[in-house]
Amino acid sequence: MNSYDRVMNTLKGLPVDRVPVFSVLGAYGGKLTNTDLRTLYSDAAAYVAGQQAVQETFGMDLVLATFDYSAVAEAFGGTVAWDDKQAPNMKYPAVTTATAALALSLPDPQRSARLPVILNATRQLAKIYHAQVPVFAAVPGPGALPTMIMGLEAWMDTVLFDKPAAMQILQWSGQFFVAWANALFEAGVTALVITESVASAEISTRTLFAEQFLPHVREIFAQMRGPLVFHHGGGRLNHVLDLLPGLPNLAGVVVSSKDDLGDARSLIGPDLLLVGNLDNLSLSQATAKEIRARSLACLRAAAPHGHYVLSHSAADVPLSTPPENLHAMIAASRDYAALGKDAT
Amino acid sequence: MKLSDDVNFQSWSEQLYKIMMNADRQGASDLISLSMTKGLSSEQIIVKLLDPALVKLGILWEKESVSLAQTFVAAKIAEDILLRCVPEVSMAHNNPVVIGNIEDDFHSLGRRIVATFLRASGWNVYDIGNDVPAEDFVDKALEVGAVVIGASAMMQTTALNIRKLREVIDSRGLRGRIKLAVGGAVFNWRPDLVAEVGGDGTANNAIGANALFLKLQAEAKGALIQ
Repeated sequence: MNSYDRVMNTLKGLPVDRVPVFSVLGAYGGKLTNTDLRTLYSDAAAYVAGQQAVQETFGMDLVLATFDYSAVAEAFGGTVAWDDKQAPNMKYPAVTTATAALALSLPDPQRSARLPVILNATRQLAKIYHAQVPVFAAVPGPGALPTMIMGLEAWMDTVLFDKPAAMQILQWSGQFFVAWANALFEAGVTALVITESVASAEISTRTLFAEQFLPHVREIFAQMRGPLVFHHGGGRLNHVLDLLPGLPNLAGVVVSSKDDLGDARSLIGPDLLLVGNLDNLSLSQATAKEIRARSLACLRAAAPHGHYVLSHSAADVPLSTPPENLHAMIAASRDYAALGKDAT
Repeated sequence: MKLSDDVNFQSWSEQLYKIMMNADRQGASDLISLSMTKGLSSEQIIVKLLDPALVKLGILWEKESVSLAQTFVAAKIAEDILLRCVPEVSMAHNNPVVIGNIEDDFHSLGRRIVATFLRASGWNVYDIGNDVPAEDFVDKALEVGAVVIGASAMMQTTALNIRKLREVIDSRGLRGRIKLAVGGAVFNWRPDLVAEVGGDGTANNAIGANALFLKLQAEAKGALIQ
């Protein structure tokens, strides 16, 4: 069974040879190909080569389209903080007020800044791995997208103290979200991971998310041309998980390492894909034996139900992560399939 | 008898806390106006209404039961109250402190909230912004006479840049005389990072920053006396 069939069967609740394993190894591709990160995230061929190296080295059950939110910020006019140890970040947003944001032009996914580079890399990856390995892309969620345009502080200020302006911003930026997400689908991604940080307990209350973001998320999701995986975006998600089933095109959720997998399953119901929930930060610090033990604990908690993917739960793994720790995740899945709960 | 003698401070502070949790900035303003008409002094408003509400919020944060949105509103409310009250209040110390995001880190929101709470607690805050080189922290601290520096980072990779700040403090012979407080989301997820980057202490939230900075200040002044 190849990775594509393994993931598709898992989505549908059909039998699989083992639980699929995901890892976010965008920047890690640069490490494997000895490519500096600025080149990796600016050159489609370099990024594709990185993902090929990742696939050859680890055999994860996904290929990752360019996971680089700074490109989105840059397309709106923001600046990028380049780093040789991690994926680029937004340095400064394009604007710092809602009024200034609404005066900006929406980027064109086919033309603006590095967005065409991302689409080009995605097309190449989709062609190379067609029906072999699913290609996932990540995009900032409709509620979090304004942070890429005006920064978190200004966006929180607007959401909390100027609701009409926040609604305007959401409607306006939502047009870009739909265009960008659907351009990625057209480029060949299998599914989109929507990182919605405003859903996490660390950012929003349940009420704030339910009243100010969820209606917009529902409206935007209905316009998507493919399956979506809802990601916590950096914090605990269980406090709103029960609100998510029924969202248009929703195929699954990624919960954080601080969420309980059993509770998550109860909250999302039986049919949605559940992804998680190893701690990213521990990946570079722990031993392979510890990663194996933690992976098996996740598998015991979530695999018996099905519709489950073993994964760590945040963004790119630290580049200092030893390869054997990533191999340990797949070995745990393989051994769990062979030995079940007796795997140690 | 003064009008303020009738005021049940605990009940009023509880009201303010509830208003904060409901993100009702206008409600807070109304409550403070009412408390002033009842004859509460600016100092009473800060010490007996605002401070207990913030402490309660801090306890909730420790239990991971309060969101950034609620903290954000609480900080705004605290700022609003301070703007109305501080000119009349004789601050307890007004000691200088330098805070900023370490080099390569651009996540300013947490730092700004910390600045608000530190000001609310009587510190003279020198906020030197994002992406600050290690040397600049120390130069500023020496310039303004601060004995505590607060360095913020959100992610592990940028948190590790704080090691350079530790090195600069030490290489200038200031270890112990200038204390290094570190903070940011990653330190809550990985408390062992505090020691790894050479921090002298951390607080899990903005509300706890005052206690941490007071402790570090006392340690630094103790070192100076020795």
